[in-house]
Amino acid sequence: MSSNFMSNARTTLLGQDASEGALLTVGSAALLLVATVGVFLVAPALALPTFVLFGLATVVSWVRHQAETARLLTLVATVSTVLTVTFITVYLFASAFPAVGEHGVGLFLIPVVDGNVRWFFWLDAVFPSGETYWNPLSGAYSLIPTIWATVVVTTISAFVAGPLGLFGALFISEVASDGVREVVKPAVEVLAGIPSIVYGFIGFQVLNGFIQTSFLDDGASFLIAGLVVGLMALPTVVSVAEDALSSVPRSMKDGSVAMGATQWQTMKSISIPAAFSGISAGLILGLGRAIGETMAVAAIMAAGVGLSNPLFDVFDAGATLTSLIATNYGSASESTIDVLFVAGVILFVIVAGMSVLSQFIERRMKEKLRGQA
Amino acid sequence: MSDAYARDTTLVGADSRLYDRALDGVISLTVVGFALALLSLVQVVGLAASGPVLGEFMLALTAVTAGGVGVVAAFSWANVVPITSERLRGVAGGLLVATVLLTGVAYASDVTLAALLGWLLVVEAVVVVAAGAASRFGVVETTPDASAGLLAGGAFGAIGLGVGAGVGGSLVGFGSAAWVAVALVVGVALLVVTVVAREDVGSTVPAGLVVAVLGATIASAAIGVGWEWNPEVVSGGFTGGVVVPIFVLTGSLLSAWSAAKAREGFGAQGRQYGTFLVINLNALLMLVVMAAIVVFVTLKGVGYAFHGFEVGAASAFLATLPFLALAAQRASQPAGTEEWRGGARQLLRVLPVSAVGALSALFAYVVVTGRSLAYDFTYTVQVNRQPEVLDTSVSVTRSLVVGSPLVLVASVALLAYFFRRYGSLENVGDDLPLVGQVRRALPLVVGALVMIAGAFGILGANPFGVTALGGTVAYWIVVVAAVGAMALALAPLAGVLAGGDPRAVGERAVSVAPLFVVGAFGGLSVLLATAFLESTARTAPNVAGVPVVAFAAFVAAAGFLAVAVLLALGRGNVEETITSRLVDEEVTLSLAAAAGFVAVLGVHVAGTGVPFRVGPFAVATQGSLSWPMAMQAYIPLGAEPGGILPAIVGTVWLVVGATAFAVPLGLGAAVFLTEYAEQGNFTNLVEIATNALWSTPSIVFGLFGAAFLIPRLGGDESLLAGMLVLGFMLLPLVLITSREAIKAVPDEYRDASAALGVDQWTTIRSVVVPAAMPGVITGVILGVGRIAGETAPLILVLGSTLNSTEAVDVIGGFRFVAQPPFVVNDALTAASASLPTQVWAVIAAGVSGSPSMGWASAFILLMVVLSFYAVGITARTIFRRKLDYE
Repeated sequence: MSSNFMSNARTTLLGQDASEGALLTVGSAALLLVATVGVFLVAPALALPTFVLFGLATVVSWVRHQAETARLLTLVATVSTVLTVTFITVYLFASAFPAVGEHGVGLFLIPVVDGNVRWFFWLDAVFPSGETYWNPLSGAYSLIPTIWATVVVTTISAFVAGPLGLFGALFISEVASDGVREVVKPAVEVLAGIPSIVYGFIGFQVLNGFIQTSFLDDGASFLIAGLVVGLMALPTVVSVAEDALSSVPRSMKDGSVAMGATQWQTMKSISIPAAFSGISAGLILGLGRAIGETMAVAAIMAAGVGLSNPLFDVFDAGATLTSLIATNYGSASESTIDVLFVAGVILFVIVAGMSVLSQFIERRMKEKLRGQA
Repeated sequence: MSDAYARDTTLVGADSRLYDRALDGVISLTVVGFALALLSLVQVVGLAASGPVLGEFMLALTAVTAGGVGVVAAFSWANVVPITSERLRGVAGGLLVATVLLTGVAYASDVTLAALLGWLLVVEAVVVVAAGAASRFGVVETTPDASAGLLAGGAFGAIGLGVGAGVGGSLVGFGSAAWVAVALVVGVALLVVTVVAREDVGSTVPAGLVVAVLGATIASAAIGVGWEWNPEVVSGGFTGGVVVPIFVLTGSLLSAWSAAKAREGFGAQGRQYGTFLVINLNALLMLVVMAAIVVFVTLKGVGYAFHGFEVGAASAFLATLPFLALAAQRASQPAGTEEWRGGARQLLRVLPVSAVGALSALFAYVVVTGRSLAYDFTYTVQVNRQPEVLDTSVSVTRSLVVGSPLVLVASVALLAYFFRRYGSLENVGDDLPLVGQVRRALPLVVGALVMIAGAFGILGANPFGVTALGGTVAYWIVVVAAVGAMALALAPLAGVLAGGDPRAVGERAVSVAPLFVVGAFGGLSVLLATAFLESTARTAPNVAGVPVVAFAAFVAAAGFLAVAVLLALGRGNVEETITSRLVDEEVTLSLAAAAGFVAVLGVHVAGTGVPFRVGPFAVATQGSLSWPMAMQAYIPLGAEPGGILPAIVGTVWLVVGATAFAVPLGLGAAVFLTEYAEQGNFTNLVEIATNALWSTPSIVFGLFGAAFLIPRLGGDESLLAGMLVLGFMLLPLVLITSREAIKAVPDEYRDASAALGVDQWTTIRSVVVPAAMPGVITGVILGVGRIAGETAPLILVLGSTLNSTEAVDVIGGFRFVAQPPFVVNDALTAASASLPTQVWAVIAAGVSGSPSMGWASAFILLMVVLSFYAVGITARTIFRRKLDYE
């Protein structure tokens, strides 16, 4: 049993046909690396020297047994990548745990305004309600207002990014000629590359005045933030939806055109239905981007933690989950930081879930199309 | 072929009908209306403008339209860009007529822009409905279907609900429930009309009605400029300034769609034209928004960003050289599609070269006349929370001093360019025994020089307290090595010149080809190692006032340049094609070597700080480029505000650190997952997890960095934590793109390599990874572009300082200490400024932040990020084209 395990470990480490003697050098390098990680967690100061030792051992074994060392190094890279991902996730959850333990469902306190519990779907039947819902001094931390702000901003952005994104994707994949596509596709990518802080700065400098004169509001609101975030999510929607539309097999479209259908009929009745799940995956991913957008929201909107009144008041302003973290972390006390971690975990779970969901949808669609091609 | 196809190629002539022209006119009217509404929304022109003010604006718009249409028309007439589509010609003509007419109306009457737009909508509605009627009663021949379809019906139902709600609400008030009834009635009515009536009626009448209502509301000033609606329940409201443009945008879109359908005679073709118009308009809008953002930030920030910018003519000239090389290469390639006439094609090809040439001539003019070029402008700074306007200028001065960094960048760019074009001169020419010996000895010599340089670098210039070592031993080693390198570099020139017949230069050059290889590569590596030795041993030998290394580099560069010119001239006399090709190779190698020696000259000046002069020209550590925004830190209480050098340096280090962390890990993991690991659940899981990580909000990474990394890295916001956090964000992208690139390498490559008996690792190293490299590099560049602008995590782990006065010195920050971790770097563990946090700091500072400085920082950040994207996308396009050819 144990010898079997050893040989398994040996194959994983060195590959099938390792040369003799490789085990010693490569193995010592691997051990030193493991030691580095261990030392970093226990005594960070000693991590660097251990890492240098690992480097030396690697150099030696690279010279003596290059193939095995290379294999080890790529394995190490894989393991560290996986570990990093796992560790970040675990650490986030662990850090959020104290606040959940302390406040429990109090984190989802429904605000009470003027003696009335704010109607909030059916939630007020499940969660407690109270007059104070965000006051670090008295230990009241309700994330409901920020969650609601995130929902409102994301919904508005979906109305911008959804239709425009679909039209944009149709343009790139079906309408545009090759020459135009060569220009528009990179342009959409560049649009995705404009840093969010630049959007934020434009909003901060320009939009505020515009809003005061044109929207009779005292500053940027969910409406404006949603529009800006929608614009920022647009490129993601366009590129994923375009990807889905382009993966519809040529033969399906050709069949339609051969029947005498026009291009638009083909798009409407063949391409869009076939790529529908891919397009919705794009929208989901784009909305994930919108939820996670921080700087534009933080720069444009005032970061209050009140609940908009009435709920559908898109002219109100408030912190979203992301901007709550960004603007509060620097001045936060220990217990507030724990609550911010809960906000972080909520974001992480929702967005990662959306990403996994959209990947699942995309894979299924591609498999289905492969079957039909 | 249907009529639609036939009409596509005929020109506008007597046989085109009034129906077609009217609808083309409506489409162009909607375009004009759409543009005007957008312009008024961003307040380029006021909705209340009327009379001469509006007239002037419209005149400008007419001029722009006439220019645009005119150029296309001229090109079309000259057959450079032939426009054969009758529809396009009709719309273009319509655009001209529409703008001219509107200008006339603006001057003749005192109608406001808002009312004008309203009337525009009404006219559109009337024409669209008339077109529908004409089609229904058989006045024109069309091919409508039985119904406009449920999709259009649903859309009009929704629009009807909105319009009905608005109309009902303003008639009976939102207090009673009656407005709901009105909304429902209007919505259902529109839906029914759309779906039940024949397509020509169903897609024109509802559209016409809605557009007419919108237009009438605006034209009658029921909703005008001063209109406000401020409901009690919400904290904001609407004004005419927003509602009117939105009405016009909606109305224009609707009537454009409807008119486009009618123009193609309804039916499948009509629906296609209508939808395509909307899709194209949407794409155009997206491009316009992007361009508007970039242009807007540029306009706002460029003045401040270039305050006090000054550059010497020689430096400017040197900076244009790499572009000259690129432009020349472009000019030498055939380009353009077949429709383009030969003349236009050639013009486009040589345009970049002539532009660069004109620029160089301009710089030469500055040098010769001694008159510097200057553009004066003003910029605003913030002093004690008050804006203050300062005078400044951008100028090209007479100075012939060039800074060593610029020399390095320009010459390395040229070296890379020429070296890429160079193939190989292996096994060419006569076998000279002496050259062979030199060749074998060279690696030893270079290795020894590097070892000595490294020893001096670690132990200091005067190791063990012996002053003589650096001053004497290194001195003489440098002199000997420099002279040797110079001799090597001059060998090709000597080889070509030796022997009588000047006509046989080409043949002779080929026979002494080994001299070229040894001279170029050997000379370069020896001299480069010498330059390093010089800087680590802190000695700068000079004989009779001439710095030896710089002199050697200069002579070597001149020698290679001379060889290149000689060969380029002598190439004409070469008869055999193969010889001529080899001579070409030698010319390319010589040019690369010349650029390389100039680069060594730059290294020498940068390393020793000793300037090098040739006549009036000079290479010095401090060049004649002065760009306060990018090259100075903030100057407290100074006459000028200085710049944001600390932020730029910080961003550079962040990017370098993140790349150094993420690329090896990501690439290694990609190799393992794709080449070694079995494809299955594990690899799938890793892929899904990395994708999820890639879309995780950046602020979450920041949270992790702030709570986990910072306490373990000294307890304060630090550059190292910023690097790691950005590295975590970059890692998934590198992994994803590298995996895709490696997967895209055809299996034939691996099989061919395996068939030759090559083992797996060697196959990966020499076949798979090189083939995947373009994709990996492109992915990394694009990813770096994204993290360079990332702000949210940096606020948490790096802090944000508004007026940073000192740039981090990472290289100089390393110190050895006696206790673990033995090496510390205070610069890495201290907070730093960075471009994104700089912009955020301006926002966070509120009234004490200088908006113009913020714009300038945002502009520079945008330029940095966009150049990463530009490079990445260009690289991808080039690589992809190459793959397509293969």
